[in-house]
Amino acid sequence: MSVAERAAEIPGGLAAERGPRKKSRFAQTWWRHAVALFAIVISLFPVVYVLSAAFNGNNSLTGSTLIPKKLTLDNFRALFGHQKVVAGHATFAGAHYAAWFANSMIVAGGTAICTILLSAAAAYAFSRFRFRGRRVGMLMLLLIQMFPQLLAVVAIYLIVYNVGSIFHIIGLNTLTALIVVYLGGAMGVNTWLMKGFFDTIPAELDESARVDGATPAQVFWGVVLPLAAPVLAVIGLITFITALNDFAIASVILETQHKFTLSVGLRQYIDQEYSEHWGPFAAGVLIAAVPAGLLFTFLQRFIVEGLTQGAVKG
Amino acid sequence: MAFFSGPVGVATKIALLSAANAIALWAEIVLIGRHRWIPVLVLALATLAIDAIYLTQHRAIPAKFLVPGTIFLLAFQVIPVVYTINVAFTNYSTGHILSKPQAIAGIKSNSLTEAENGKSYTMAASRDKAGHLVLVLLDEDTGKTYVGTSSGLRPIARSDVKISDGNITAARGYHVLQGTELTGLDKTLSAFTVPVGGGKAVEPQGLDTAVVLEPTLRFDARADQFVRIKGGTVFRDNGEGSYVSATGEELEPGWKTYIGTKNFGHIIHDPLIRKPFLQVFAWTIVFATLVVLASFGLGLLLAITLNKPGLALQRTYRAILIIPYAVPAFLSLLVWQGLLNDDFGVVNRAFHISIPWLFDPWWARVSVILVSVWLTVPYFFLVSLGALQSIPAELVEAARVDGAGALQVFRRVTLPLLLVAVAPLMIASFAFNFNNFNNIFFLTGGGPQMGNSPIAGATDILISYTYKIAFAAGKGQDYGLASAVAIFIFFVVATISAISFSRTKALENLA
Repeated sequence: MSVAERAAEIPGGLAAERGPRKKSRFAQTWWRHAVALFAIVISLFPVVYVLSAAFNGNNSLTGSTLIPKKLTLDNFRALFGHQKVVAGHATFAGAHYAAWFANSMIVAGGTAICTILLSAAAAYAFSRFRFRGRRVGMLMLLLIQMFPQLLAVVAIYLIVYNVGSIFHIIGLNTLTALIVVYLGGAMGVNTWLMKGFFDTIPAELDESARVDGATPAQVFWGVVLPLAAPVLAVIGLITFITALNDFAIASVILETQHKFTLSVGLRQYIDQEYSEHWGPFAAGVLIAAVPAGLLFTFLQRFIVEGLTQGAVKG
Repeated sequence: MAFFSGPVGVATKIALLSAANAIALWAEIVLIGRHRWIPVLVLALATLAIDAIYLTQHRAIPAKFLVPGTIFLLAFQVIPVVYTINVAFTNYSTGHILSKPQAIAGIKSNSLTEAENGKSYTMAASRDKAGHLVLVLLDEDTGKTYVGTSSGLRPIARSDVKISDGNITAARGYHVLQGTELTGLDKTLSAFTVPVGGGKAVEPQGLDTAVVLEPTLRFDARADQFVRIKGGTVFRDNGEGSYVSATGEELEPGWKTYIGTKNFGHIIHDPLIRKPFLQVFAWTIVFATLVVLASFGLGLLLAITLNKPGLALQRTYRAILIIPYAVPAFLSLLVWQGLLNDDFGVVNRAFHISIPWLFDPWWARVSVILVSVWLTVPYFFLVSLGALQSIPAELVEAARVDGAGALQVFRRVTLPLLLVAVAPLMIASFAFNFNNFNNIFFLTGGGPQMGNSPIAGATDILISYTYKIAFAAGKGQDYGLASAVAIFIFFVVATISAISFSRTKALENLA
């Protein structure tokens, strides 16, 4: 079917108004279902494959089939070091998986929560107060944010290395260092997005609270933050996923297996003979996808709304 | 409401502020102990400023909300940017890490070699009463005994040292290390030097012998040059952090120093860097452009297909199609890396083909684009769907009534209206993919290797190339050059961002 014919279907309202009978409607729409199914097959192919491999008894990539011959939880056990890998003869790095997972949750969760608080506080100031340097401050945020932290990875490494030689708690190979580095990017885009949302919360609400004797801090915690919960949650999720995804900065700051995050830890499989560990690897990927997947499911409505209305994630 | 209100709020505030001050005080003590006076001053002023902001009431209220985020912004966003610019003008790299005095000391100690007919000592590694490592030494020619420390050689009475079978077994006032006490000490021992004057030194060789070493180079501090004692070759400071002879021989280590715009010069003039750099730059643009256009095209196609009121399963389709968007990208990338493996990858086995998806330069480029498109389509599907639904049906209807064909309606009405909403997002997506480090690094690691460069690979984009220049194992690390490339990337991305900002309404938000 040509682009022109497809384009003809865009004014959906027209076709619907004609009110064709059910049979002819399917005749008109079958190709839409065909395209959708084709897209779904391609989208879900890796997902289904990982699901299958994770529960498959045969854990090498070569021997894997799409429909598991035998369902088993062995791969998950191997991941947490309870059981030796059945087919693999090489040493399996899964012994550290629990630590990687915990580290990722600490780093991504900590970064997300702190980012919400830091950027919401700044957005509140920009939204509700008129002060000298306000315009300049917001412009500066926008400009600084143009230089992605990723570009400064060399400088960040050298700074953490040098500062860490004095203060070990934020030195190389610590999760705290990674979190505080990520927090450098907490303001910027997030503050802009939140300020935009705060601006839509009627100022009369703050004012009536102020008349009742509330301090600016009380208005922030008690009035503005609860009303902004959806946008806070979405920004928290985006920050969480961004921190979870980061490899470059985490890989230069973290040095030993038990400090690795999931991205740094699982990336090693590529360098190893990981066809032999495909089963445990797939199980690891599956578990790693759960937290972000759950958050996404809960917040899907807000995210889809945000995306279809404007832009939340670039 | 409980937080920060009434007595609880005041208590919380005081507790947080006290904690901040306690941490600052502890940091000050550590810094003073290390004689880092500038950081001491900066930290003291910052702490005072923070206390002043939070202890005053009804004043500086915006500052109270801005300070926490700004601290992190300054420390880990602004300072890294400034530091990147700083490093870009230095030769900071493997072999150029030390300060100049440290490098001079390093060259001196590197130049030590075993003296011709020099002395050899029987040695025993020992600890003195304070537990410091010392060497108990027996001059094999004269039979005299010494204790060597890092400050020099001191004679001790022969009678205080017990020798059996040519080995020193005990020394009065010292604890001779034996057996397992010596394990793990070999590194410390081989770095141990006992200066004996005239630039010479006694150094351990193995666990029970020490020899006299003498320098092969003489440092002339006034002329700032090294002279080789045998032959008189002169090594001068070349202004780029090394002592170099007239024939180009370089003494190691070098030191870190400012070299002006040389790193940028290398990118422009040095054919060994320029060619791979230009190739990587061109590929970065091609990669980002193709990913955005293909993703937008496919996303729009899907959106048009599914944007029909009353279409059965519409919501289900939408929910399933955004699943790839809900999975953290690095996991999808890892899985694709396995699926595309040419030996045992599922894609090759499923279709009974053997395409070197990740190991042939052109197939690798195709692979990274395909996988990136797979990752990006759901996003453009969602935004296109939203944009389509916001186009008023009357506009389309009016065009139809005026006799426009389907293609004309799409080209003249739907697409322009759609682009108004989606174009800024395409620019943002371009900027994002321009620096999409993970997609490249997880799939191909930038490889396969290009023939003309030890670092750059066929799928390397500028950011992965920068990372490899700075952190590639085994190839030497060039922080200076990497920072110069990072600044170049910044200018490209800043230009893109500036264009996109001038076309969007973001700045109107300033009011």
